[in-house]
Amino acid sequence: MPLADNRWVRRGWPLAVAVVALAVGYALSVGLNGYFVFLAVSAVTAAIAILGLGIVTGSAGMIALCQLTFAAIGAWVTAGLNYVHAPGGFVVWLIAGTTAAGAAGVLVGLPALRLRGVNLAVVTLGFAAAADVTLVQIQFPGSADGVGVDRPTGFETDRSYFFFSVIVLIVCALAVFFLQRGRIGSSWKSVAFSERGTAAAGQSVQSAKLTAFAVSAALGGVSGGLLAGQVGLPLASSFSPLQSLALYVLAVMSGAHLIDMAVFGGILWILVPELLKRWGIPQDWGFVIFGVLGVQALTSGTNLGQGIRNMIWKRQYRRRAAGRRVDAAAAVDGIDGVADPVTTTTVATSKGATAGPAVLTVEGLTVQFGALKALDDVSVEVPAGSIMGLIGPNGAGKSTFVDAISGFVRGHGGRVLLDGHDLAGLSPTRRARLGLRRTFQQDRVPPALTIDAYARFVARRRLDAEDVESTLAFFGCPPAHARLSSVDVGTRRLVEVAANVLARPRVLLLDEPAAGLSHEEHLALATRIRELPERFGISVVIIEHDLDLVRSVCPRLTVLDFGRVLASGPQEEVLDDPAVMKAYMGETEML
Amino acid sequence: MDDALILDDVTVSRGAGPVISHVSLQVAPGEVVALVGPNGAGKTSLIESVSGVVGHSGGDIRIGETSIGKLSRVARSRRGIVHIEQGRAVFPSLTVRENLSLTARTDAEAKAALDHFPELEKRWDAPTGLLSGGEQQMVVLARAFAARPRFLLIDEMSLGLAPVVFTRLLPIVSTLAESGVGVLLVEQFTNLALGLAREALVVAGGRVTYQGDAQTLRDDPAILHEAYLGRAA
Amino acid sequence: MIQGALAGLAAGGLYAVLGVCLTLMSRLVRVVNFSQAATGMFGAFCAVWLVTKAGLPIWAGSIIGVLIGGLLAAVIGWIAATWLSEADTTTRSAMTVGPLLLLISLSFILFGNKPQPFAPIIAGPAFTVGGVVISQLTLATVGLAIVVAVAVHFLLARTKVGTRLRALSERPTTAELLGIRSRPLQVAVWFVTGIISALVIIIVAPSQSNDATSLSMLIVPAAASALLGGFRRLDLTVIGGIVLGMLSGVVAQIGQISAVRNFLPFLFIVVLLLWSQRKEVWDAAR
Repeated sequence: MPLADNRWVRRGWPLAVAVVALAVGYALSVGLNGYFVFLAVSAVTAAIAILGLGIVTGSAGMIALCQLTFAAIGAWVTAGLNYVHAPGGFVVWLIAGTTAAGAAGVLVGLPALRLRGVNLAVVTLGFAAAADVTLVQIQFPGSADGVGVDRPTGFETDRSYFFFSVIVLIVCALAVFFLQRGRIGSSWKSVAFSERGTAAAGQSVQSAKLTAFAVSAALGGVSGGLLAGQVGLPLASSFSPLQSLALYVLAVMSGAHLIDMAVFGGILWILVPELLKRWGIPQDWGFVIFGVLGVQALTSGTNLGQGIRNMIWKRQYRRRAAGRRVDAAAAVDGIDGVADPVTTTTVATSKGATAGPAVLTVEGLTVQFGALKALDDVSVEVPAGSIMGLIGPNGAGKSTFVDAISGFVRGHGGRVLLDGHDLAGLSPTRRARLGLRRTFQQDRVPPALTIDAYARFVARRRLDAEDVESTLAFFGCPPAHARLSSVDVGTRRLVEVAANVLARPRVLLLDEPAAGLSHEEHLALATRIRELPERFGISVVIIEHDLDLVRSVCPRLTVLDFGRVLASGPQEEVLDDPAVMKAYMGETEML
Repeated sequence: MDDALILDDVTVSRGAGPVISHVSLQVAPGEVVALVGPNGAGKTSLIESVSGVVGHSGGDIRIGETSIGKLSRVARSRRGIVHIEQGRAVFPSLTVRENLSLTARTDAEAKAALDHFPELEKRWDAPTGLLSGGEQQMVVLARAFAARPRFLLIDEMSLGLAPVVFTRLLPIVSTLAESGVGVLLVEQFTNLALGLAREALVVAGGRVTYQGDAQTLRDDPAILHEAYLGRAA
Repeated sequence: MIQGALAGLAAGGLYAVLGVCLTLMSRLVRVVNFSQAATGMFGAFCAVWLVTKAGLPIWAGSIIGVLIGGLLAAVIGWIAATWLSEADTTTRSAMTVGPLLLLISLSFILFGNKPQPFAPIIAGPAFTVGGVVISQLTLATVGLAIVVAVAVHFLLARTKVGTRLRALSERPTTAELLGIRSRPLQVAVWFVTGIISALVIIIVAPSQSNDATSLSMLIVPAAASALLGGFRRLDLTVIGGIVLGMLSGVVAQIGQISAVRNFLPFLFIVVLLLWSQRKEVWDAAR
């Protein structure tokens, strides 16, 4: 669709939506009757709180059960600043409340850095329960004297305050939109899917989780401050743990990581109790309904927003059909200098194969898991600008080798040196940032991202659209705007390789990158990998089983068997060694 | 004549595409069928579809005339299908005795397993998580023995084991076959596996590239080599 | 100070029992059951209703209430075992937030918002130690905690069912391949812990704030106790619950910091978690 591809449209459409929303908000503020206007403000404040939950729960994959407690903090600070007549007016107090809530989020989230989803849930529930009791005891500032929170000048009436709240909602939504689209949003989705994958991309797992929590709590704070302005005298009961639980369930059910669904959730929050009131049904049934729908959403693994999206995307995907890798062949022809993939048993040497100092040196690497010695005194040198293949039977320790070098194995013997620097004690994140990148045998590519977002996230540097497109095309990946959830596992891992190449690392460790690809695609990938040192200046270590591919790609080989190096050196020597062939085919001299 | 385990044009898919397609084979009671080939070829997925760990997307799996394709894992195990998973599937905190008690009906039956594995005698009350790889694999085999299987699906029993240990374990498979159990054996120690089997299949790139007499395959390494590279001989 | 500690012992026993239930669920069926106390609460409220409105004798109403609590838990467990059997612990646990919400709200609808007229089943002093009275209730809850922990340990270590349960929790797929039927066993675990929670709540409810929310929120100190045992060790869970109860009792006596009392379980949780996870560990699943 030409309109959607226009750069200005792609950049500008959120702002256009914002303007339209503003107009709608104004129209509603004037047009709705008084009772509904008050309700509408409640819907907006709920929407903002749910927006926050969408980040920590929907995007970052953690369970947070104290969102309204953060709202209470926001309300408390706002009311407090109002009570002491602090300068600046409502907007300043609101911002202060937001900041306080965000800070509280950081504090509550700090234990979360080491915690997984469930433990964090326990922490947040404990926090909510404790804060609730405290709040009931100390109440909100001004409640004892009946001093209500003053609304911002010019927005004192209910109608104009509603419009004010809509403006705040739009600002928050835009902020969340741009955050989600950028590197930070990608880090959230990545950490929700795989912590290892996130670290291997050079992103700190801790800061991804902490930013998710802080932003989410801040949005809670905004919601609370707005509520304080709406009612003047906020009550502790509006922020009870029960309400936080209900809000969480609503967020999960509606798919709150999508901004429109967060707004929809806010409307539901008000609509369901209102409908029940009209029909003369006790309001508590509202939470019962939420509870049931929440269970349904969690057992089916999907939510309302995602369901609607999937329906729309299925139609779009069928129309486009450009996401197919069938175009890979065409792409190969179109790339200058890349020959058609051929099956070759001839040794392919790269000019820089034996030249240059070692970019990666491994000395005496030993890894022990309990009684099992996974790696035993492994020493390997990878010269700069070369491609080294790592082969050996299943269980020989190849993946452990890559894990140890990239920093995922603690407490191993021996040293790993990158360009002469000892990597001892460095986390996988640090090693990735220093230029040691790796891909995984398992699928660790977050499906929630688009190819473009993922590539930029992994590359960790400024990229033009042309850079991204050309590298993706070089590897025969689908177009950048395609969603990773819509492509199969083999393609996702191909994108993983392409994205890591975009990062221009010193060394790239590929762990069976061709698994899941057809034979032809296998060979096409082999052709591309052969080019990596010359084209991009990357040295490669590749674990592979396909001897054909290994022969055509790797001028140097290392063979591992039972955790020991059986042979290491130029390809011809290694493959001529009868011990190697036996080990590879699973036989040894003892038999 | 007892019923054989029959795979009829079975395809197993994962995610977006087939992992292994159009496999047809029969394992008669007392017979060993070997499944060899490079990694990632789909052998484990095929085994898993027979035991019910994963579903199959095409074809049918039968014992004799009865289709078992829609049965749960537990139901299939009740029909005598025992799946020895890759990587020594012992329950680490359970002792050897407890592991065996899961399949053996009585204590006597559990002890009978020691006949084949006298090494386990002194480890009888040790948590299996602390045993060596070879000992753990013995526990797995003993447990399978005690389950009185009709068909045994063995996925890379040799993985991570020293050759000397593997040669110790392989005759057990023969014994089981001789007692009337049908064995489907996935192995990377190709020569040894072929030595045991009557029929062999080579799987490469998700397809069967050779299916026939195991002895022929063993005698002519060229066929095996070609088949490994994904080209049908 | 000692008085305060002993006064908190009854609550400590309560936390310990619920904590043991949580630990069991976590170990055997891979779930942190947020509705653990809520199902017990609902069963207890049903018992009160049966006694006060339907005129049943206390023992009959209590037994039926306990059964109801167990059945509710079993239903939730059946949902988890059927649709979430392959899901990770986080998703399974998140699912239990729904019933937590549902049960509290349902109890408001059925039984009203006001505290329930519980007739105490166990009350009165048991004996005196050094001038401090130990109530029967304290004996009951602490005793129950120890009995349950010991009984479960025995069940898991010495019986065939226990072996099957342990196998199922360590490697669910392998266990199923060996013919161990996972769903009935899982539902049974949910049922039994549901019964135990309902029982202890019915015993304790008369002597503390017993509105629906307070009772359901007992999940927080229960989780704090379970955390001391890392959601794995029953002995440490019992100790954790009792210590937490005694600490709360002591803090309540000290007027100046009694506001902090609310935060005690929360701080307990945070400190324990930070300590137990001080070494960085990778998410085992991915």
